[in-house]
Amino acid sequence: MALLCVENLTTRFHTRDGIITAVDNVSFAIEPGKVLGIVGESGSGKSAACYSIMGLIPSPPGRVEQGSAEFMGQDLLTLSPGQLRRIRGQKIGMIFQDPMTSLNPFVTIGDQLMESLRVHKGMSKKDARKRAIAALEEVGIREPERRFNSYPHEFSGGMRQRVMIAMALINEPDLLIADEPTTALDVTVQAQILDLIKRLQREHNLSVIFISHDLGVVAHMADHVVVMQKGKVVETGSADQVFFSPQHPYTQKLVESLPTTAKPYSPQFQKDDKPFLRIKNLRTEFSRQHGFLFWKKWFHVRAVDDVTLTLRKGEILGLVGESGSGKSTLGRSIMRLVEPRSGEVLLDGVNLTELEPKRLRQARRDFQMIFQDPYASLNPRMTVFDALAEPLLIHRIVPPSQILSAVNQLMDDVGLDRRMVRKYPHEFSGGQRQRVAIARALAVRPQLIIADEPVSALDVTIQAQILELLLQLTQKYQLTMLFISHDLSVVRYVADRVAVMQQGKIVEEGEAEAIFSNPQHPYTRALLNAVHHLKKTDAA
Amino acid sequence: MLRIFLQRCLSAIPVLFLVVLFTFILIRLAPGGPFDDERAVPPQVLENLNKRYHLDDPIHVQFFDYVKHLLQGDFGPSFKYPSRTVTEVIYAGIPVTLELSLYAFLVALVFGITSGVIASLKPNTLQDYVPMSAAMIGLCLPSFVLGPLLILVFGIQLDWLPVSGWGVTPGDKILPSITLGAGYAAYLARLSRGGMLETLSQDYIRTARAKGLSGWRVVFHHALRGALAPVVSFAGPAVAGLLSGSFVVETIYQIPGLGRFYLQAAFNRDYTMILGMTILFAFLIIICNLLADLLLLWLNPKLRGRK
Amino acid sequence: MSTEAVDFDLNRLEKGRSLWQDAFSRLKKNTLAMGGLVFLLLLIVLAVLTPWIAPYSYEEQNLMLGATPPSAEHWFGTDIFGRDQLTRILYGSRISLMVGFIATAVALCIGVTWGTIAGYIGGRVDALMMRFVDILYALPFTIFIILLTVVFGRSMLLLFLAIGAVEWLTMARIVRGQVMAIKHQEFIEAAVAMGMSRPRIMFKHVAPNVLGPIIIYTTLTIPSVILLESFLSFLGLGIQAPQSSWGSLISYGVETMEEYPWLLIFPALTLSMTLFALNFLGDGLRDALDPRVSKD
Repeated sequence: MALLCVENLTTRFHTRDGIITAVDNVSFAIEPGKVLGIVGESGSGKSAACYSIMGLIPSPPGRVEQGSAEFMGQDLLTLSPGQLRRIRGQKIGMIFQDPMTSLNPFVTIGDQLMESLRVHKGMSKKDARKRAIAALEEVGIREPERRFNSYPHEFSGGMRQRVMIAMALINEPDLLIADEPTTALDVTVQAQILDLIKRLQREHNLSVIFISHDLGVVAHMADHVVVMQKGKVVETGSADQVFFSPQHPYTQKLVESLPTTAKPYSPQFQKDDKPFLRIKNLRTEFSRQHGFLFWKKWFHVRAVDDVTLTLRKGEILGLVGESGSGKSTLGRSIMRLVEPRSGEVLLDGVNLTELEPKRLRQARRDFQMIFQDPYASLNPRMTVFDALAEPLLIHRIVPPSQILSAVNQLMDDVGLDRRMVRKYPHEFSGGQRQRVAIARALAVRPQLIIADEPVSALDVTIQAQILELLLQLTQKYQLTMLFISHDLSVVRYVADRVAVMQQGKIVEEGEAEAIFSNPQHPYTRALLNAVHHLKKTDAA
Repeated sequence: MLRIFLQRCLSAIPVLFLVVLFTFILIRLAPGGPFDDERAVPPQVLENLNKRYHLDDPIHVQFFDYVKHLLQGDFGPSFKYPSRTVTEVIYAGIPVTLELSLYAFLVALVFGITSGVIASLKPNTLQDYVPMSAAMIGLCLPSFVLGPLLILVFGIQLDWLPVSGWGVTPGDKILPSITLGAGYAAYLARLSRGGMLETLSQDYIRTARAKGLSGWRVVFHHALRGALAPVVSFAGPAVAGLLSGSFVVETIYQIPGLGRFYLQAAFNRDYTMILGMTILFAFLIIICNLLADLLLLWLNPKLRGRK
Repeated sequence: MSTEAVDFDLNRLEKGRSLWQDAFSRLKKNTLAMGGLVFLLLLIVLAVLTPWIAPYSYEEQNLMLGATPPSAEHWFGTDIFGRDQLTRILYGSRISLMVGFIATAVALCIGVTWGTIAGYIGGRVDALMMRFVDILYALPFTIFIILLTVVFGRSMLLLFLAIGAVEWLTMARIVRGQVMAIKHQEFIEAAVAMGMSRPRIMFKHVAPNVLGPIIIYTTLTIPSVILLESFLSFLGLGIQAPQSSWGSLISYGVETMEEYPWLLIFPALTLSMTLFALNFLGDGLRDALDPRVSKD
């Protein structure tokens, strides 16, 4: 018998711009002791479905309009708020995506852990403390006695997620709902958290609903999978079935969108070509000031530490690293968006680090950047036409009379409809915005593009399209590219060569296939081991 | 924590010093001496007066003399009423003004925060509109309009409450406290509603609700602490506003507080009196700002934990 | 670069809706805010035209008449000297609105300049500039203004400068916060990477994006300036006789409110209505321009 059986669940949001059906007639069930994966892109309603069951939909504007959710003989949707509260935190625990914001910053983690015990079980402070410390120990927090009175900001992201898990499981619930629990974490930390969840699930014979956009992770975790699209369930089945013989066209598209192979284009340079971009002993430091008046102290953080790299004309170098590794700072230092402390950046023989402001501004037409967040990288008050025409005018790429045709050409290049040029960024989807940002970078006809996590804010199907677009454009315009990403599969798909960065230093560099098939540095190996691909052996 | 505390306290000292310096110079810049009256004073008398008040000393000597006396709690004599010292007047007036401001502050805190929190729990419903409309009215009825209206209605028409004095007849403290506090209650209501709405949309509130906590516990134990930060940081300016607001309220209700003395001194051009009171007010306000600052630090564990 | 200069088949283009257009259509739906706007415009027109449309002259006394309640000849009644109350309130509006707008303009100029410089340069300059603002924040400004009027006598110019000098602090803080937030947005970095000059980035990319909060806060500063001026005039420290503002009219009204309540009620009502209108408009603008609400 199913532990939780959801039937015909429909949730709508009544906003001032109209009614949005977030969850549309959704049904699924989860067996005791099993892991159910819910997969979908942003806006698919996968989180909204679970929040609806738990009564956590912000209301107004949200409203659960129909359906039932049978849990241990009770329909959760018909329970009174008081009855539902006894289930939340006692019978069903939850963990969330962002461990940085999901813990109350004003309350010690000890108090936050004990709260559930004291509220639901009426435990004494002493007993609760004992139990909470045991729970912290179980999730792998070292010295739990000492950390008991710490505040959340004293923990790293991964540690906070461990605390969240301890909190969700402290009352020994029957069901754990994990909403993108590792999305905000680095890949090595993600692997640890996934292992932890898996271990606890087995030890406590727990049922888990695992919500994620990441097919590899879900395949690794789940026995059963539900695929959602635009509020509807499009496919259900065992993990093997769904991922290896998908039936619904959308699921097929999802699986196909995963970058699993090496670069599909042959390199456009010769092995003995001389370097086009040369980075020599580049160092960038950040100084931070602590204290006040007479107690001032300066701290120097070396974000980029003695980096030397070369790129040939037409080459794509993938730069891989976890958050804080300095990979973005390296990109920004080359762009001179931050000033490097020492070292040289030679682009076609010109040392960019020595250019005067005016010369630098002129030289910038040769090297351009594509940013991570397509929502923040376009000026919200400018139409697409203005955004694309501005660089053309400033650098006098074409005479004013030809601006329009040049803009049209750019729109064609990035696959956008010419008729949309008078629209504003907020009227586009994330993928379309990223296309506009690419077109803007291309407008000045640069030689070098630095792409800083250009697809990590995008859904997997959109990501595949943008990667394809980038590859085509580099071919068409003979572009040299530094492709910065935390996602190893993506890098493998686009890069000719790969450099791995850790704590400001390049720890390994080489041909893409060589690195992926035979990594040398232990850190590279750890990174590669932490990635979860769609592998048949993973699924139970 | 202790070091930040000491740093903040120390940094208030130069500010206070500058205030004293600024006011002192301003007063000395004022056209005409303190004894330019309608009546002509014989030169000999004027000279004696100047000598008696050390006005013939160089200005920097006068200034340091003044500061020296200040540090001993002595604000000097009143130029207008030689029989009284400024210190006496201040000691007579300050308990009344502080009591009035305190009650008004309590009115503002209790009504403001309560109605703000209540409104934020059900935004865009009647439970939100009613207290927020009241707050809007409070914001647009300045004390010098609200005070007379309250007197007209509760004092004269209904004859429920006394309309003048302080601590003379029972209940005479009610109307002045409400008059002074209403505007700040309205402002605090809006601030705390905004802070609550912001906090209630945070992820950690969702976590608290997912733990199965009751609505009250979520509000009091989890939301309120974050939501009150803007309220606390407004407390300093609010005290400044209450003190200057007491000028109006003390005038309307004929309360013998510092505000009324200050206004009298302003109209009489009693320079030493103004100087003393301005410095005292500045001192009170800087202290209150300091307290609000420290409270804010203490409320935020991120800042508290830093060594 | 304007799109109008381009000649081609405009009919084929899908017209975009700017954030300003979105905001304006939201504002238009807000009845309270629009009511406030209409009231204010009406008041401004009346205040400007007062010398031509006022039913009586400002100083014309009619001691025989004395204080009379509202009537067909004197809509808002007369004061003890028989002067027409409506006329006096209209002239008072000129003063109060003028102080409100000019002092706000002073605050706007200082605050925006200060906040923009601090926010855009950042670092130690910013720390120093904002520390200065913090210190000024902790000072009893109303009391200083009173002190200034005592020392220098009362004048309109002093009032503008003094009130402006108080109100710029919050403006500077808000502008700085906005500039800091915008400065680190990727589209500014993109503009730098594109090789645009600093002035161009300031005016084309930063300015249009900080305008919203500035408009909102300006609308909310005007009522607090009007309030401060009325407060001073009520105490007899603001506008000098024979001129009068709403504050001094209210103060006359309070003296005689038991016998002639209309002398209090009408100026008080005018002041409060104006404050309502400005606050409603400010709140409406906040709702309409707030990016968090307009985000998709």
